[in-house]
Amino acid sequence: MNLLLLFQDAFWSAVAALGFSVLFNVPRRMLAGGMICAAVGHAVRTFLMQAGLDIVPATLVGALMIGFLGIGFGRYWRAPSLIFTLSASVTLVPGVFAYRAMLGILQVSASTDPAVGGPLLVEATTNAIKTALILGAIGVGIIAPRLLFLREKPVV
Amino acid sequence: MSATLPKKPPLDKLALRDVIDLSLWAGQLLLQHGAESARIEETVHRLGTGLGADWMDILVSPNAIAVTTVSGEEFRTKIRRVVSIGVNMRAIEQINSMTQRVIVGELDRVAVRREIEQIVRQPRQYTRWASVVMVGLSCAAFSQLFGGDWPVFFTTLVASMLAMFVRQELIRRHFNPLLVVIGTSFVATIFASLASRFQWGEQPQIALASSVLLLVPGVALINSAEDLITGHLVVGIIRGISGGLISLGIAVGILMGIRLMGISGL
Repeated sequence: MNLLLLFQDAFWSAVAALGFSVLFNVPRRMLAGGMICAAVGHAVRTFLMQAGLDIVPATLVGALMIGFLGIGFGRYWRAPSLIFTLSASVTLVPGVFAYRAMLGILQVSASTDPAVGGPLLVEATTNAIKTALILGAIGVGIIAPRLLFLREKPVV
Repeated sequence: MSATLPKKPPLDKLALRDVIDLSLWAGQLLLQHGAESARIEETVHRLGTGLGADWMDILVSPNAIAVTTVSGEEFRTKIRRVVSIGVNMRAIEQINSMTQRVIVGELDRVAVRREIEQIVRQPRQYTRWASVVMVGLSCAAFSQLFGGDWPVFFTTLVASMLAMFVRQELIRRHFNPLLVVIGTSFVATIFASLASRFQWGEQPQIALASSVLLLVPGVALINSAEDLITGHLVVGIIRGISGGLISLGIAVGILMGIRLMGISGL
Protein backbone atom coordinates (compact mmCIF):
# COMPACT_ATOMS: atom_id res chain seq x y z
CA MET A 1 0.00 0.00 0.00
CA ASN A 2 1.61 3.18 -1.17
CA LEU A 3 0.78 6.11 1.09
CA LEU A 4 2.20 8.74 -1.25
CA LEU A 5 0.06 7.49 -4.13
CA LEU A 6 -3.01 7.61 -1.91
CA PHE A 7 -2.19 11.16 -0.88
CA GLN A 8 -1.77 12.21 -4.51
CA ASP A 9 -5.09 10.55 -5.29
CA ALA A 10 -6.84 12.54 -2.56
CA PHE A 11 -5.18 15.76 -3.71
CA TRP A 12 -6.24 15.44 -7.35
CA SER A 13 -9.80 14.45 -6.46
CA ALA A 14 -10.05 17.54 -4.26
CA VAL A 15 -8.90 19.68 -7.20
CA ALA A 16 -11.42 17.98 -9.49
CA ALA A 17 -14.24 18.60 -7.00
CA LEU A 18 -13.19 22.24 -6.60
CA GLY A 19 -13.64 22.83 -10.34
CA PHE A 20 -17.12 21.37 -10.28
CA SER A 21 -18.01 23.38 -7.16
CA VAL A 22 -17.10 26.54 -9.08
CA LEU A 23 -19.23 25.34 -11.99
CA PHE A 24 -22.15 24.74 -9.61
CA ASN A 25 -21.71 28.15 -7.95
CA VAL A 26 -21.20 26.64 -4.47
CA PRO A 27 -20.94 29.35 -1.76
CA ARG A 28 -17.31 30.28 -1.19
CA ARG A 29 -17.21 29.48 2.52
CA MET A 30 -18.45 25.93 1.77
CA LEU A 31 -15.93 25.05 -0.95
CA ALA A 32 -13.74 23.14 1.49
CA GLY A 33 -16.60 20.76 2.33
CA GLY A 34 -16.91 19.39 -1.18
CA MET A 35 -13.13 19.07 -1.51
CA ILE A 36 -12.83 17.07 1.70
CA CYS A 37 -15.74 14.83 0.67
CA ALA A 38 -14.10 14.15 -2.68
CA ALA A 39 -10.63 13.57 -1.25
CA VAL A 40 -11.87 11.08 1.35
CA GLY A 41 -14.37 9.35 -0.94
CA HIS A 42 -11.99 8.86 -3.83
CA ALA A 43 -9.02 7.92 -1.66
CA VAL A 44 -11.15 5.29 0.10
CA ARG A 45 -12.14 3.85 -3.26
CA THR A 46 -8.53 3.75 -4.45
CA PHE A 47 -7.41 2.18 -1.17
CA LEU A 48 -10.06 -0.55 -1.39
CA MET A 49 -9.16 -1.25 -5.02
CA GLN A 50 -5.49 -1.57 -4.09
CA ALA A 51 -6.60 -3.97 -1.38
CA GLY A 52 -8.16 -6.14 -4.06
CA LEU A 53 -11.80 -5.10 -4.09
CA ASP A 54 -13.60 -4.71 -7.43
CA ILE A 55 -14.26 -1.14 -8.58
CA VAL A 56 -18.05 -1.39 -8.15
CA PRO A 57 -18.21 -2.23 -4.41
CA ALA A 58 -15.23 0.06 -3.83
CA THR A 59 -17.17 2.90 -5.45
CA LEU A 60 -20.18 2.11 -3.29
CA VAL A 61 -18.09 2.45 -0.12
CA GLY A 62 -16.45 5.64 -1.39
CA ALA A 63 -19.82 7.15 -2.26
CA LEU A 64 -21.19 6.17 1.17
CA MET A 65 -18.27 8.02 2.76
CA ILE A 66 -19.13 11.10 0.68
CA GLY A 67 -22.77 10.81 1.71
CA PHE A 68 -21.98 10.53 5.44
CA LEU A 69 -19.47 13.39 5.34
CA GLY A 70 -22.02 15.46 3.39
CA ILE A 71 -24.54 15.07 6.20
CA GLY A 72 -21.90 16.10 8.73
CA PHE A 73 -20.97 19.21 6.76
CA GLY A 74 -24.65 19.94 6.16
CA ARG A 75 -25.20 20.01 9.93
CA TYR A 76 -22.06 22.09 10.50
CA TRP A 77 -22.93 24.76 7.91
CA ARG A 78 -26.70 24.35 8.31
CA ALA A 79 -27.00 23.83 4.55
CA PRO A 80 -28.36 21.14 2.20
CA SER A 81 -25.88 18.24 2.05
CA LEU A 82 -26.36 18.21 -1.72
CA ILE A 83 -23.98 21.18 -1.92
CA PHE A 84 -21.09 19.01 -0.76
CA THR A 85 -21.99 15.61 -2.18
CA LEU A 86 -22.74 16.61 -5.78
CA SER A 87 -19.35 17.98 -6.78
CA ALA A 88 -17.62 15.24 -4.79
CA SER A 89 -19.58 12.46 -6.45
CA VAL A 90 -18.54 13.66 -9.91
CA THR A 91 -14.98 12.56 -9.07
CA LEU A 92 -16.16 8.94 -8.87
CA VAL A 93 -17.68 9.03 -12.38
CA PRO A 94 -16.16 6.23 -14.49
CA GLY A 95 -14.99 8.46 -17.35
CA VAL A 96 -12.52 6.03 -18.88
CA PHE A 97 -14.90 3.04 -18.76
CA ALA A 98 -17.65 5.05 -20.42
CA TYR A 99 -15.23 6.28 -23.06
CA ARG A 100 -13.95 2.77 -23.83
CA ALA A 101 -17.48 1.36 -23.94
CA MET A 102 -18.54 3.98 -26.44
CA LEU A 103 -15.55 3.50 -28.74
CA GLY A 104 -15.80 -0.28 -28.40
CA ILE A 105 -19.42 -0.35 -29.52
CA LEU A 106 -18.42 1.70 -32.54
CA GLN A 107 -15.60 -0.70 -33.41
CA VAL A 108 -18.01 -3.62 -33.21
CA SER A 109 -20.35 -1.91 -35.65
CA ALA A 110 -17.47 -1.34 -38.05
CA SER A 111 -16.05 -4.88 -37.94
CA THR A 112 -17.21 -7.33 -40.61
CA ASP A 113 -15.45 -10.48 -39.36
CA PRO A 114 -17.28 -12.13 -36.41
CA ALA A 115 -14.01 -13.61 -35.16
CA VAL A 116 -12.72 -10.07 -34.67
CA GLY A 117 -16.04 -8.54 -33.65
CA GLY A 118 -16.81 -11.13 -30.95
CA PRO A 119 -14.04 -10.26 -28.49
CA LEU A 120 -14.58 -6.55 -29.19
CA LEU A 121 -18.23 -6.93 -28.32
CA VAL A 122 -17.41 -8.69 -25.06
CA GLU A 123 -14.96 -5.96 -24.10
CA ALA A 124 -17.33 -3.14 -25.00
CA THR A 125 -20.22 -4.74 -23.12
CA THR A 126 -18.07 -5.34 -20.05
CA ASN A 127 -17.08 -1.69 -20.01
CA ALA A 128 -20.69 -0.56 -20.51
CA ILE A 129 -21.93 -2.78 -17.66
CA LYS A 130 -19.14 -1.52 -15.39
CA THR A 131 -20.06 2.08 -16.22
CA ALA A 132 -23.73 1.47 -15.44
CA LEU A 133 -23.01 -0.35 -12.17
CA ILE A 134 -20.55 2.29 -11.00
CA LEU A 135 -23.07 5.04 -11.73
CA GLY A 136 -25.69 3.10 -9.78
CA ALA A 137 -23.28 2.64 -6.87
CA ILE A 138 -22.60 6.38 -6.80
CA GLY A 139 -26.29 7.21 -6.72
CA VAL A 140 -27.17 4.72 -4.00
CA GLY A 141 -24.07 5.53 -1.95
CA ILE A 142 -24.67 9.28 -1.94
CA ILE A 143 -28.35 9.02 -1.05
CA ALA A 144 -28.42 6.11 1.40
CA PRO A 145 -26.92 8.06 4.36
CA ARG A 146 -29.64 10.69 4.03
CA LEU A 147 -32.32 8.04 3.99
CA LEU A 148 -30.79 6.62 7.17
CA PHE A 149 -30.29 9.85 9.09
CA LEU A 150 -32.77 12.42 7.87
CA ARG A 151 -36.07 10.66 8.57
CA GLU A 152 -38.29 13.52 9.64
CA LYS A 153 -41.99 13.11 9.28
CA PRO A 154 -42.89 14.35 5.82
CA VAL A 155 -44.56 17.74 5.90
CA VAL A 156 -46.32 17.44 2.58
CA MET B 1 -53.79 16.35 9.17
CA SER B 2 -54.71 19.99 8.60
CA ALA B 3 -57.53 19.69 11.15
CA THR B 4 -55.04 18.97 13.93
CA LEU B 5 -53.01 22.13 13.26
CA PRO B 6 -53.61 25.11 15.54
CA LYS B 7 -56.09 27.49 13.98
CA LYS B 8 -54.46 30.36 12.10
CA PRO B 9 -56.23 33.62 11.36
CA PRO B 10 -57.64 33.32 7.83
CA LEU B 11 -55.79 35.35 5.19
CA ASP B 12 -57.72 37.66 2.90
CA LYS B 13 -57.54 37.21 -0.85
CA LEU B 14 -54.69 39.67 -1.35
CA ALA B 15 -52.54 38.16 1.40
CA LEU B 16 -53.22 34.71 0.00
CA ARG B 17 -52.08 35.90 -3.40
CA ASP B 18 -48.85 37.14 -1.87
CA VAL B 19 -48.25 33.84 -0.07
CA ILE B 20 -48.72 31.72 -3.18
CA ASP B 21 -46.68 34.12 -5.28
CA LEU B 22 -43.69 34.02 -2.93
CA SER B 23 -43.69 30.30 -2.19
CA LEU B 24 -44.12 29.42 -5.86
CA TRP B 25 -41.30 31.78 -6.76
CA ALA B 26 -39.00 30.06 -4.28
CA GLY B 27 -40.03 26.68 -5.67
CA GLN B 28 -39.34 27.85 -9.20
CA LEU B 29 -35.84 28.98 -8.24
CA LEU B 30 -35.12 25.64 -6.58
CA LEU B 31 -36.30 23.67 -9.62
CA GLN B 32 -34.43 25.73 -12.16
CA HIS B 33 -31.21 25.64 -10.16
CA GLY B 34 -31.16 21.87 -9.71
CA ALA B 35 -32.77 20.91 -6.39
CA GLU B 36 -34.40 17.50 -5.90
CA SER B 37 -38.20 17.15 -5.88
CA ALA B 38 -38.56 16.32 -2.18
CA ARG B 39 -36.69 19.48 -1.22
CA ILE B 40 -38.87 21.61 -3.50
CA GLU B 41 -42.09 20.20 -2.07
CA GLU B 42 -40.95 20.59 1.50
CA THR B 43 -39.59 24.11 1.04
CA VAL B 44 -42.71 25.42 -0.72
CA HIS B 45 -44.92 23.85 1.92
CA ARG B 46 -42.92 25.24 4.83
CA LEU B 47 -42.69 28.69 3.27
CA GLY B 48 -46.42 28.89 2.56
CA THR B 49 -47.52 27.65 5.96
CA GLY B 50 -44.83 29.77 7.64
CA LEU B 51 -46.26 32.85 5.94
CA GLY B 52 -49.76 32.18 7.24
CA ALA B 53 -51.49 29.66 4.96
CA ASP B 54 -53.20 26.65 6.58
CA TRP B 55 -52.04 24.16 3.99
CA MET B 56 -50.10 23.93 0.73
CA ASP B 57 -50.39 21.32 -2.01
CA ILE B 58 -47.49 21.14 -4.43
CA LEU B 59 -47.14 19.32 -7.72
CA VAL B 60 -43.58 19.22 -9.04
CA SER B 61 -43.19 18.26 -12.66
CA PRO B 62 -39.96 18.34 -14.68
CA ASN B 63 -40.66 21.74 -16.22
CA ALA B 64 -43.46 23.28 -14.16
CA ILE B 65 -44.70 23.66 -10.59
CA ALA B 66 -48.32 23.90 -9.50
CA VAL B 67 -49.22 25.09 -6.01
CA THR B 68 -52.54 25.38 -4.21
CA THR B 69 -52.65 27.39 -1.02
CA VAL B 70 -55.47 27.12 1.48
CA SER B 71 -56.45 29.50 4.27
CA GLY B 72 -59.76 29.35 6.06
CA GLU B 73 -62.48 29.25 3.42
CA GLU B 74 -60.27 30.66 0.67
CA PHE B 75 -57.95 28.87 -1.70
CA ARG B 76 -55.83 29.84 -4.66
CA THR B 77 -53.95 27.81 -7.28
CA LYS B 78 -51.14 28.88 -9.51
CA ILE B 79 -48.96 27.13 -12.06
CA ARG B 80 -45.60 28.34 -13.20
CA ARG B 81 -43.50 27.03 -16.04
CA VAL B 82 -39.88 26.43 -15.12
CA VAL B 83 -36.94 26.19 -17.47
CA SER B 84 -33.76 24.74 -16.04
CA ILE B 85 -30.98 27.32 -16.35
CA GLY B 86 -28.00 25.56 -14.82
CA VAL B 87 -26.97 24.51 -11.36
CA ASN B 88 -26.66 27.22 -8.74
CA MET B 89 -25.96 25.85 -5.28
CA ARG B 90 -25.70 29.28 -3.71
CA ALA B 91 -29.32 30.09 -4.58
CA ILE B 92 -30.46 26.73 -3.19
CA GLU B 93 -28.53 27.35 0.01
CA GLN B 94 -29.94 30.86 0.40
CA ILE B 95 -33.54 29.76 -0.13
CA ASN B 96 -32.94 26.98 2.38
CA SER B 97 -31.74 29.36 5.09
CA MET B 98 -34.46 31.87 4.23
CA THR B 99 -37.06 29.13 4.75
CA GLN B 100 -35.57 28.30 8.15
CA ARG B 101 -35.91 31.95 9.14
CA VAL B 102 -39.52 32.03 8.00
CA ILE B 103 -40.33 28.94 10.07
CA VAL B 104 -39.05 30.55 13.28
CA GLY B 105 -41.01 33.68 12.43
CA GLU B 106 -38.09 36.00 11.68
CA LEU B 107 -39.30 37.03 8.23
CA ASP B 108 -42.70 38.25 7.07
CA ARG B 109 -44.03 38.48 3.52
CA VAL B 110 -42.37 41.79 2.75
CA ALA B 111 -39.01 40.57 3.99
CA VAL B 112 -39.32 37.31 2.03
CA ARG B 113 -40.02 39.24 -1.15
CA ARG B 114 -36.94 41.36 -0.55
CA GLU B 115 -34.81 38.25 0.11
CA ILE B 116 -35.94 36.48 -3.05
CA GLU B 117 -35.43 39.58 -5.16
CA GLN B 118 -31.92 39.82 -3.78
CA ILE B 119 -31.24 36.13 -4.57
CA VAL B 120 -32.44 36.59 -8.15
CA ARG B 121 -30.49 39.78 -8.72
CA GLN B 122 -27.10 38.75 -7.35
CA PRO B 123 -24.42 37.89 -9.91
CA ARG B 124 -22.61 34.54 -9.84
CA GLN B 125 -19.75 34.45 -7.36
CA TYR B 126 -17.14 33.28 -9.82
CA THR B 127 -16.28 35.20 -12.98
CA ARG B 128 -16.43 33.37 -16.26
CA TRP B 129 -12.62 33.30 -16.48
CA ALA B 130 -12.36 31.81 -13.01
CA SER B 131 -14.77 29.10 -14.18
CA VAL B 132 -12.70 28.46 -17.31
CA VAL B 133 -9.49 28.03 -15.31
CA MET B 134 -11.00 25.99 -12.49
CA VAL B 135 -12.92 23.66 -14.81
CA GLY B 136 -9.77 23.17 -16.88
CA LEU B 137 -7.81 22.28 -13.74
CA SER B 138 -10.61 19.95 -12.71
CA CYS B 139 -10.48 17.94 -15.95
CA ALA B 140 -6.68 17.92 -15.83
CA ALA B 141 -6.93 16.54 -12.29
CA PHE B 142 -9.10 13.75 -13.69
CA SER B 143 -6.35 12.88 -16.17
CA GLN B 144 -4.04 12.42 -13.18
CA LEU B 145 -6.60 10.22 -11.43
CA PHE B 146 -6.86 8.10 -14.59
CA GLY B 147 -3.09 7.60 -14.54
CA GLY B 148 -1.98 10.12 -17.14
CA ASP B 149 1.44 11.79 -17.12
CA TRP B 150 2.35 15.50 -17.32
CA PRO B 151 2.11 15.99 -21.12
CA VAL B 152 -1.40 14.49 -20.93
CA PHE B 153 -2.17 16.73 -17.94
CA PHE B 154 -1.34 19.92 -19.85
CA THR B 155 -3.07 18.78 -23.03
CA THR B 156 -6.22 18.09 -20.99
CA LEU B 157 -5.90 21.42 -19.21
CA VAL B 158 -5.82 23.44 -22.43
CA ALA B 159 -8.43 21.28 -24.19
CA SER B 160 -10.99 21.59 -21.40
CA MET B 161 -10.33 25.30 -20.84
CA LEU B 162 -10.95 25.85 -24.54
CA ALA B 163 -14.06 23.69 -24.36
CA MET B 164 -15.40 25.58 -21.34
CA PHE B 165 -14.90 28.88 -23.15
CA VAL B 166 -16.75 27.58 -26.22
CA ARG B 167 -19.52 26.25 -23.98
CA GLN B 168 -20.01 29.66 -22.36
CA GLU B 169 -20.12 31.34 -25.77
CA LEU B 170 -22.64 28.83 -27.14
CA ILE B 171 -24.87 29.19 -24.07
CA ARG B 172 -24.68 32.97 -24.38
CA ARG B 173 -25.92 32.71 -27.96
CA HIS B 174 -28.91 30.60 -26.85
CA PHE B 175 -28.07 27.44 -28.74
CA ASN B 176 -30.10 24.33 -27.99
CA PRO B 177 -28.65 22.69 -24.83
CA LEU B 178 -27.87 19.42 -26.59
CA LEU B 179 -26.15 21.26 -29.41
CA VAL B 180 -24.06 23.06 -26.80
CA VAL B 181 -22.98 19.70 -25.38
CA ILE B 182 -22.07 18.29 -28.80
CA GLY B 183 -20.16 21.42 -29.79
CA THR B 184 -18.27 21.56 -26.49
CA SER B 185 -17.27 17.93 -26.55
CA PHE B 186 -16.23 18.29 -30.21
CA VAL B 187 -13.90 21.19 -29.41
CA ALA B 188 -12.41 19.37 -26.41
CA THR B 189 -11.80 16.27 -28.53
CA ILE B 190 -10.20 18.18 -31.41
CA PHE B 191 -7.58 19.66 -29.11
CA ALA B 192 -7.10 16.58 -26.91
CA SER B 193 -6.54 14.38 -29.97
CA LEU B 194 -3.43 16.38 -30.78
CA ALA B 195 -1.82 14.37 -27.98
CA SER B 196 -2.59 11.13 -29.82
CA ARG B 197 -1.61 12.63 -33.17
CA PHE B 198 1.84 13.73 -32.01
CA GLN B 199 2.34 11.09 -29.28
CA TRP B 200 2.54 13.49 -26.33
CA GLY B 201 2.89 11.37 -23.22
CA GLU B 202 2.53 7.66 -22.57
CA GLN B 203 -1.25 7.21 -22.84
CA PRO B 204 -2.53 10.13 -24.92
CA GLN B 205 -6.04 8.66 -25.09
CA ILE B 206 -6.49 9.61 -21.41
CA ALA B 207 -6.58 13.25 -22.55
CA LEU B 208 -9.55 12.40 -24.78
CA ALA B 209 -11.49 10.73 -21.97
CA SER B 210 -10.77 13.43 -19.35
CA SER B 211 -11.16 16.64 -21.32
CA VAL B 212 -14.89 16.09 -21.92
CA LEU B 213 -15.66 15.41 -18.24
CA LEU B 214 -16.73 19.03 -17.67
CA LEU B 215 -19.95 18.01 -19.43
CA VAL B 216 -20.79 15.05 -17.16
CA PRO B 217 -24.48 15.41 -16.24
CA GLY B 218 -23.78 14.74 -12.57
CA VAL B 219 -26.63 16.81 -11.17
CA ALA B 220 -29.22 15.34 -13.53
CA LEU B 221 -28.18 11.76 -12.75
CA ILE B 222 -27.84 12.13 -8.97
CA ASN B 223 -31.13 14.02 -8.72
CA SER B 224 -32.74 11.38 -10.92
CA ALA B 225 -31.61 8.63 -8.56
CA GLU B 226 -32.77 10.62 -5.54
CA ASP B 227 -36.19 11.39 -7.04
CA LEU B 228 -36.71 7.76 -8.03
CA ILE B 229 -35.81 6.55 -4.54
CA THR B 230 -38.04 9.09 -2.80
CA GLY B 231 -40.99 8.18 -5.02
CA HIS B 232 -41.05 11.16 -7.39
CA LEU B 233 -40.98 8.75 -10.29
CA VAL B 234 -42.03 11.00 -13.16
CA VAL B 235 -39.48 13.71 -12.42
CA GLY B 236 -36.85 11.05 -11.72
CA ILE B 237 -37.39 9.32 -15.05
CA ILE B 238 -37.32 12.57 -17.00
CA ARG B 239 -34.12 13.67 -15.27
CA GLY B 240 -32.54 10.30 -16.01
CA ILE B 241 -33.45 10.62 -19.67
CA SER B 242 -32.06 14.13 -19.92
CA GLY B 243 -28.84 12.92 -18.27
CA GLY B 244 -28.67 10.07 -20.79
CA LEU B 245 -29.22 12.46 -23.69
CA ILE B 246 -26.39 14.68 -22.49
CA SER B 247 -24.10 11.63 -22.28
CA LEU B 248 -25.13 10.73 -25.83
CA GLY B 249 -24.34 14.28 -26.92
CA ILE B 250 -20.85 13.97 -25.40
CA ALA B 251 -20.33 10.73 -27.35
CA VAL B 252 -21.46 12.31 -30.62
CA GLY B 253 -19.03 15.21 -30.14
CA ILE B 254 -16.13 12.84 -29.39
CA LEU B 255 -16.89 10.67 -32.41
CA MET B 256 -17.06 13.62 -34.79
CA GLY B 257 -13.79 14.90 -33.33
CA ILE B 258 -11.75 11.70 -33.59
CA ARG B 259 -13.08 10.92 -37.07
CA LEU B 260 -12.10 14.37 -38.24
CA MET B 261 -8.63 14.08 -36.69
CA GLY B 262 -8.20 10.60 -38.14
CA ILE B 263 -7.24 8.79 -34.93
CA SER B 264 -8.61 5.56 -33.49
CA GLY B 265 -8.93 7.02 -29.99
CA LEU B 266 -7.71 3.82 -28.34
